Amino acid sequence: MSAEISKRIAEFLDLKIEEDDVGQPYFGNPDYELLPFAPANFVPIKDVEPNIRTAFVDGGNQEILGAPNFSAQINRIYFNIFKGRDRILPKFLPRRIEFYSVTMSDFRNGEIFYDTRVFPLKFEFEGLVPDQLLSFSSLDRTVTLGNQRADIKHVASVPRRFAEWEFAKHVIENELEKGDMIVHDGSLQTSFTDEHTCLTRAFETTMEKRVIFAGISKTSTLFTTAGLSLLGAVQKLAEDYKVKSPWCLPIAKVANVKHNAFIYVVKLHESAKYVFRFEIYGEQARRMSEEDFCTVTSALASNSKDISFPGYPYGLIDADSFARVSGDEVDKYQVPLVSEISKLGKWKKVSRHICSGDAHSMLDVLKG
Amino acid sequence: MFKFAHFADCHIGANRGPVLEKLELAAFSKAMDVCMQEKVDFVLIAGDLFHANLPDMYVANEAVKKMREVRDAGIPIYVIYGSHDYSPNGTSIIDILDSTGLIKKIVKGEDVDGKLRLAVFTDLKTRAKLVGISGRKAGLERNYFEMLDREFLEKEEGFKIFAFHSAISELKPEFLAQMESIPMSLLPKGFDYYASGHVHRRTEAGFAGYERVVFPGVLFGGYSRDLEDSAKGEKRGFYLVSFDEKVEEVKFMEVSVCDFEYFEYDVSDKNSVQAKKDLLDKLREIEAENKIAVVKIKGELSGGKTSDISSSEIRDLLKENGALDVIINRYGLISRDYSSVRAMGEDVPAIENRLLRENIGAVKVSIEELKADKGAKLAQDLLKVLRQEQKLNETKKDYVERIQKHALNTLGLGDEG
Amino acid sequence: MALEVSGQIIAGKTGQILAREKAGGEIEIGDLLVAEEDGGYVILQAYELVYGSQVPQLVRELLAGMKLEGMGADLDFLEPQLRNYVIAQIKALLRVGKNNELKIPKTLPKFFSTIRHVAEKDLLFLTKPRSPVYLGKVRSGSKVLDVDVYVNGKDMLTHHVLIPATTGRGKSNLVKVMLWSVLAQDCLGILVLDPHDEYYGRHGKGLKDHSTAKQNLLYYSTNPVPGTNTLVINLRSILPSHFQGIVEFTDAQHDAISLYYNRFRDQWIENIVRGTDIGDAVAPRTLEVLKRKFDNVLGVYIDDSGDFQCRSGVFSDTAGLATTREITKALEDGKKVIIDTSRLLDEAELLIGSIISGGIFHRYQSYKSEGTLEEKPVVSVVIEEAPRVLGAEVLAARGDNIYSTIAREGRKFKVGLIAITQLVSLIPRTILANMNTKIILGNELVAERQAVMESAAQDLSSDDRTIASLDKGEAIVSSNFTRFAVPIQIPLFEKYVEENVQPKEKNKTVFVG
Repeated sequence: MSAEISKRIAEFLDLKIEEDDVGQPYFGNPDYELLPFAPANFVPIKDVEPNIRTAFVDGGNQEILGAPNFSAQINRIYFNIFKGRDRILPKFLPRRIEFYSVTMSDFRNGEIFYDTRVFPLKFEFEGLVPDQLLSFSSLDRTVTLGNQRADIKHVASVPRRFAEWEFAKHVIENELEKGDMIVHDGSLQTSFTDEHTCLTRAFETTMEKRVIFAGISKTSTLFTTAGLSLLGAVQKLAEDYKVKSPWCLPIAKVANVKHNAFIYVVKLHESAKYVFRFEIYGEQARRMSEEDFCTVTSALASNSKDISFPGYPYGLIDADSFARVSGDEVDKYQVPLVSEISKLGKWKKVSRHICSGDAHSMLDVLKG
Repeated sequence: MFKFAHFADCHIGANRGPVLEKLELAAFSKAMDVCMQEKVDFVLIAGDLFHANLPDMYVANEAVKKMREVRDAGIPIYVIYGSHDYSPNGTSIIDILDSTGLIKKIVKGEDVDGKLRLAVFTDLKTRAKLVGISGRKAGLERNYFEMLDREFLEKEEGFKIFAFHSAISELKPEFLAQMESIPMSLLPKGFDYYASGHVHRRTEAGFAGYERVVFPGVLFGGYSRDLEDSAKGEKRGFYLVSFDEKVEEVKFMEVSVCDFEYFEYDVSDKNSVQAKKDLLDKLREIEAENKIAVVKIKGELSGGKTSDISSSEIRDLLKENGALDVIINRYGLISRDYSSVRAMGEDVPAIENRLLRENIGAVKVSIEELKADKGAKLAQDLLKVLRQEQKLNETKKDYVERIQKHALNTLGLGDEG
Repeated sequence: MALEVSGQIIAGKTGQILAREKAGGEIEIGDLLVAEEDGGYVILQAYELVYGSQVPQLVRELLAGMKLEGMGADLDFLEPQLRNYVIAQIKALLRVGKNNELKIPKTLPKFFSTIRHVAEKDLLFLTKPRSPVYLGKVRSGSKVLDVDVYVNGKDMLTHHVLIPATTGRGKSNLVKVMLWSVLAQDCLGILVLDPHDEYYGRHGKGLKDHSTAKQNLLYYSTNPVPGTNTLVINLRSILPSHFQGIVEFTDAQHDAISLYYNRFRDQWIENIVRGTDIGDAVAPRTLEVLKRKFDNVLGVYIDDSGDFQCRSGVFSDTAGLATTREITKALEDGKKVIIDTSRLLDEAELLIGSIISGGIFHRYQSYKSEGTLEEKPVVSVVIEEAPRVLGAEVLAARGDNIYSTIAREGRKFKVGLIAITQLVSLIPRTILANMNTKIILGNELVAERQAVMESAAQDLSSDDRTIASLDKGEAIVSSNFTRFAVPIQIPLFEKYVEENVQPKEKNKTVFVG
């Protein structure tokens, strides 16, 4: 890129990102009750040693064998428990569960459906992973991209989401006590058909045990009325108001079927570069005292002092590294599966469908 | 200016045969006469005046008579024990003569704070200071040297003489490498003269701190090796030392009482018959009249026995030719056919020593003192004691008791302090 | 009680196994570690340590910058022991089987097996051999275990010993400890050429303090302590062959020497020094040069009164006739003889060593031909700054000498060398290969470490850092007579002696004389 062009783009960005008036939070959905930006609304987070435990849950998945009409994936759900900086070892549950999910296309009722079946990797994981058959129409708007039929690969990654909620429920039941908190990696908003049902079961458990259910999102696509990113705007406000970190700013409340939460933006450490969207289950947030809220945010902040990523809970860093399925691992799972298919003498049949799909990999090989 | 005579190793009584015995006494007598002629101020005998602590009375008497003469001439005779005339309990002839005042033993010491403090004797006339350590069997005097309060002696002022009867490691000849010796460093430094004995070869040497260490050698000779050396040209005698505040001159005074004729014969490549004939033929030609003939026969006979070469025949032949006496050394003579234990050594003590060392390992003992070199030395010393003969006028009972006592003392089991 | 785990094997290959250190496992370079197996175990050793981290390096650099610049004072790594750790590179040394059979490992330890620090019970196979020479205790990193290390003296000394080390690493201390441990053993005769007068104990503790020193130790010096021997050697004890490889002579000088020796036999040197005329066969100039050479090397000359003198007092025309014979006899009796050469020039020191070593070597050659060599003790010669006589350049320039002969052939005749040197690289490989025990002390010179590693009895190719990090008193014993290269801690001689000195009884002596 020439220096001249770069300069012009830089000037264009500067012109368009107008921060004189950051505007107000904008969700574009009347279900969201918005709370205006105001300096007084920034709630300081106290630096105290927590007396509650916080569990963090995350999941990961990777396709190991795929074709337009099927996708076999390996899924992982992982959790940990911290009290401030200190890890607490689980008492009952395995820290990580793994399962295969195989999504197959099926033509019925005049339409293509994608049906997913789950295969736990170990016997002891049964009961911890979703056991019902997940099924989506290929035209289900919650899984399609635009007007196109949903990509089976995309649908095949949905079971992981369901499994996260399911596993969170088991964590709450077996490992946490009253007053503890469970933090999901991502918001508490559900997207897929019937996903909310799964989450609701987790919410019910959380209410029974009086464990706080929260979520932190690494990314956010929320905006302000000034067209600015919500998180960027909040950061600007905090700087302008010289708000001392760490802090928490309530943004909105929502209570519909797919999303029942109080939404905040948090900066969890003074050295943090990033701020995050933080949610607490609506039913709990509504009844929460100031003290309880303080406890919750302090607990989160006390776990966010890792030097590698200040301001982001270490529990989620840890959960991410153990839940993630890297590309390097695919072979490990792919090879035995392919081998079994070959033993059955069905590889030719299966490979026909693999080759009917994306030829990109071939081009990659040719590129070297 | 003063003078003293330094003798050692007279070994009076060592020689048994009448001729050698006489010559031995003659050498002593001649040496004493020289001392009187030279008008020495004193005589110092550094050990082994006699060959045994209770020598044959005849030779002892003759020696005493001569010493009386010297004493009567106003010449004191200072003496220390040697390894032969030593007695652990003061019953040596030396002690008897010391008691009579004929000689003066200049060895006295006591343990002071763990160190051996020797008494210093002063010669009245010359004011020379004399200190001595006696010799003991098997070099046992080394313990005394190690304990010696050298500092005390080094501080002593005046003209000092240190008399001792030990081989010095740095000065002994090569063939005596295995002999017990003490290192020079055990002597006190700074004495004007170190009068030693025990090594039968004459040596004069000087080291830093030890200006004059002198071994006069034997006066005549007690062992066949001594006579052999004499026959090969080694001069015998004593030293005359002139001094004032320092030593002015050290002069060797030769004492010769007879001539020697040395003959060496190698039997190698001959059988006993050939060797004997050849040897006797050759011996007939040597001029041994009025001389002590020393014959050394060595080599390996190709055949026949070594006893085929008769020593008595050789002796008779030489005596017929006028030899005063005949010494035959045949320890190096072996026979291929009849080889017995091959002992590498040229005289009896050396051979005995080697055989004992070689075979001591075969004897199983638990006491340290009986093992290895220590044990071999002890065995050799014991043999020496047991070899002593009964003296004239000594009853059998006394003889047995004497031998037993000495044997026990040698083994460290007697009354020896 | 189970021993604490210090790490876990995570990757690698033979000779380079990687193990992650447990937090607090404190694996050190040179540490001996154990991986248990079915019924047996493998002994391993760490030779390299590297940092491992789950956090990429660039990020770590940034984080360090933050800390250094005072940002994020309360920030730190959470669970640091999980994310930042040490990877130890280790190699397998020895496999101990179910029935305590010892083998060189030919397979890898089980993957992912845990490792722990070695314990004394793992080293029970290190037993005390016959004619033991004590070297020290087993060392694991910097930790010292209560396991003594001995090597069979007869084997070790016959097959030569090399002690490579730079100054101040404890070479003399090591030799003193070794000598102390064998002083009472009469199956080992040792001659020590002592250029710094440090073995006897003239000032302070030394070999003289051993309870059997009186019987088994001889000390020769130009300045003897009371009770010890004056170092004096008679010129008649010196043969022309003793100079071989020590002093260079021209052909003309060699010829002159031969002529004088043939004419005067053992008085050849005296006659050269006196300038005795033997006709035209020797040019006056050659004779003059020889006289000067003997003055330089031996310090001998004729003074104005025509008397023979020696500048160092070591060589004499009258005294010292029995010295070499006494010394060789002592060595043959399994005694230890120290020659204090601290006041002598190099050549004189080497010459004296040559005379005595040559004497014993030739005697042992004749014993071998007589069939009596087996009864004789092994004799070893301790020589410092060994390249003076074993260096490639020296050997090329002057030819072989008695020391190099012993190095090459001594083994056949039970005569060995203990060669001490700072510069191993100067010694030819053919000689190094004959030195089957190397007690390696610290050495900061790369080339020297390389030379040592290349000639060691075990594979030390990965031990460069280990050797470089050896502290004073630490060593590695690489020997044909040890099952693996044993890291040791040599005790300080003074302390070692304290534990072994017996109080002397003091009885009042009754003097008889």
